[in-house]
Amino acid sequence: MARQRLAYRPGRSWLHRLHPLVKLGWLALLSLALFVAPTGALVAVTLAVALLALWATGLRSWREFPGLRLLLPTCALLFVLQALFRREGEVVVRLWPFGGGALPVTDAGLAVGWLISGRFLAIILLSYALLLSTEPNDLAYALMAAGLPYRYGFMLVTALRLMPIFELEGNTVYDAQLARGVRYDARSPLRLLTLLRRLLLPLLVSALGKVDALAVSMEGRGFGQYPDRTFLREVRMSRRDWWAAAWLALAAVALVVWWVSGG
Amino acid sequence: MIDIRGLTWRFDGAPRPALQEITLRIEPGELVVISGPSGCGKSTLALAMGGYLFQQYHGQAEGSVEVGGLDVRQVPIYRAAEIVGLVQQNPENQFCTLNVMDELAFALENRRYPPAEIRQQIAWALEVVGAAHLRDRALATLSGGEKQKVAIASMLVGRPQVLILDEPTSSLDPAATRAVLEAIGRLRQEAGLTVVIIEHKTAYLEPLRPRRILMREGRIVPGGGAAALRAEVAWPPARPPAARAPGAEPLVRVEGLSFAHGEAPVLREVSLAVYPGELVAVMGRNGSGKTTLLRCLLGLAKPTAGEVRVAGRDVRRTPVSTLARDVGLIFQNPDHQIFADSVWAEAVFAPYNLGLADGADARAEALLADYGLLPYRDQHPYRLSYGEKRRLNLAAVLSYAPPVLLLDEVLVGQDPANAAFLLGQLTQLAAAGRAIVHVTHDPLTTLRYADRLVFLDDGRVIVDDAPEAAFARLEATGYQPYLPLYDLPAGEG
Repeated sequence: MARQRLAYRPGRSWLHRLHPLVKLGWLALLSLALFVAPTGALVAVTLAVALLALWATGLRSWREFPGLRLLLPTCALLFVLQALFRREGEVVVRLWPFGGGALPVTDAGLAVGWLISGRFLAIILLSYALLLSTEPNDLAYALMAAGLPYRYGFMLVTALRLMPIFELEGNTVYDAQLARGVRYDARSPLRLLTLLRRLLLPLLVSALGKVDALAVSMEGRGFGQYPDRTFLREVRMSRRDWWAAAWLALAAVALVVWWVSGG
Repeated sequence: MIDIRGLTWRFDGAPRPALQEITLRIEPGELVVISGPSGCGKSTLALAMGGYLFQQYHGQAEGSVEVGGLDVRQVPIYRAAEIVGLVQQNPENQFCTLNVMDELAFALENRRYPPAEIRQQIAWALEVVGAAHLRDRALATLSGGEKQKVAIASMLVGRPQVLILDEPTSSLDPAATRAVLEAIGRLRQEAGLTVVIIEHKTAYLEPLRPRRILMREGRIVPGGGAAALRAEVAWPPARPPAARAPGAEPLVRVEGLSFAHGEAPVLREVSLAVYPGELVAVMGRNGSGKTTLLRCLLGLAKPTAGEVRVAGRDVRRTPVSTLARDVGLIFQNPDHQIFADSVWAEAVFAPYNLGLADGADARAEALLADYGLLPYRDQHPYRLSYGEKRRLNLAAVLSYAPPVLLLDEVLVGQDPANAAFLLGQLTQLAAAGRAIVHVTHDPLTTLRYADRLVFLDDGRVIVDDAPEAAFARLEATGYQPYLPLYDLPAGEG
């Protein structure tokens, strides 16, 4: 059965067409800003930007967001913990109203809760927008063109290439086990470990074979022969990319100035 | 072009040499096919010709290997690779990138060719293998045959003088096999290459008129041509289609089965019945829905429409663990279905899981003895050879004696002797009343051993008939590549 995955969604939106490194730069800057300038307003603005970016990727329903069931409870937990255990600030409400009241929730607790959970949510959503709108291969080649040593760049490319293959093989091994009567409804941790070992061992054996084949293929094609290499593929900067990069630089300077001047 | 003299190679820790006193001379422009049983040293010899054996593996070597005047024992791999290109068995395992253009550019980029020259070389290589239309495709979207052509072109771009292909057609459907072989033919005509092919399915190569070399136990068999190879294999006799007992109920009944991956239909209104004692071959091009059909029969994929009943049970309403008691399933790759720590534990793994332990030990012991695996009873199954693992897969299913067997390309990668052994087992199992559904790409064994051929195209059954009649209909409707190319008088597959 087709499952939703965290994967690139081909498209022609403004976000798709933005240069991968510019997108990466904006993600880095916004994430940094959320830590350097932790204000509720910035969190709200960044969340709005993240939602706009997700809309641009073509995401139209929360149901298309595979990690949401884990992400939202995590954010809620972060918020509740901060709201419950922060003691400073004015009490806004007491959750246990009887006998003079207990479990006070303060305005500072709510603010910090919003800041921490909102920051977490914003960074995850922004990263997700980057993943959905950027062909990983383009990102790897752009990084190499920008100076990342090609040996490291191809580690990323190889991982991208092998992931779907391992997923497919994992499904085959799982099917083969079901066909031989293996049941995956065990509750004992020991039994679960045995199941995991049986699932992973065939995949490991297969992976080792693939590593051998890949090593032969790469070395046979001169990989590592020289410290540098040429590239046929160019991930070009358009005028729009240069503008986005200029705004990125300006925003970075503003952040540094704000930080140096003591916020 | 290739001059090997007295080459002996022993892998570190191995009890005997993998190659023994190999002396072989191959002239420029020759096409040579090397065949022989699994583990005879064919792939090791290919690695030696490319220089990989001496640079990437640990062992002791004697003798000399010269390719294009270069002593490949002494030079780094990248130097040897400028003369020799090695295309490995599974193209999927040798791709280093995600797109056709990136893949073809990879070698030349590493050698610091300027982009303009890279583009020229890529255009030439794609033209030679007949794959110019694939240049802008992602590798993941290519069919098996297209991937193999791209793998060959990716070696060709560096303009080597020798190309070695390790089982280039092992998992391809007949149409893709022919397309790849045509591409290999063009390599000699248009690129003037010396080509060495490691292959079990040598009959398909006949139109290329190759020089044949047979290997056994690390040695080249003197005078080892096609006749020597045929003489070594005892193929089971062809069997006439089984007579169906009057009033017999089918063990597998499929009516109007449809299945879709999301929005994409994979099976469309498939109907078929398999009776006790029948061996039904399922053929069709890669991606036509054959494996999905098997998965539906065991409930691993739930039909989106239609009805599937196996051994009287509706697969939609029956858990897989219950269906599995009556249905044995074997996939293509033996390594994907070995889960236990010893050969014995593997053989009895399923019956104990399925609550069918009564008599399982005795059955497993007899099967291991019949399949020549009893001496390895306490060994880890991963130490077995490829052919032995395949036999263990079959023993591990037969140890609980399911009445229905589903087999997904179980002959792929098997040498002729092992393929003959497996086919002998299947015909015996059918004669004993089992219903067998065998997904295969091999028209010849289908013609000789199957009771019926079900041919799928784009998820639909377009032919379901006795093999001879089915092939006649396929021929009449334009499916020539799927017809048996040669007869098998004394045989090879």
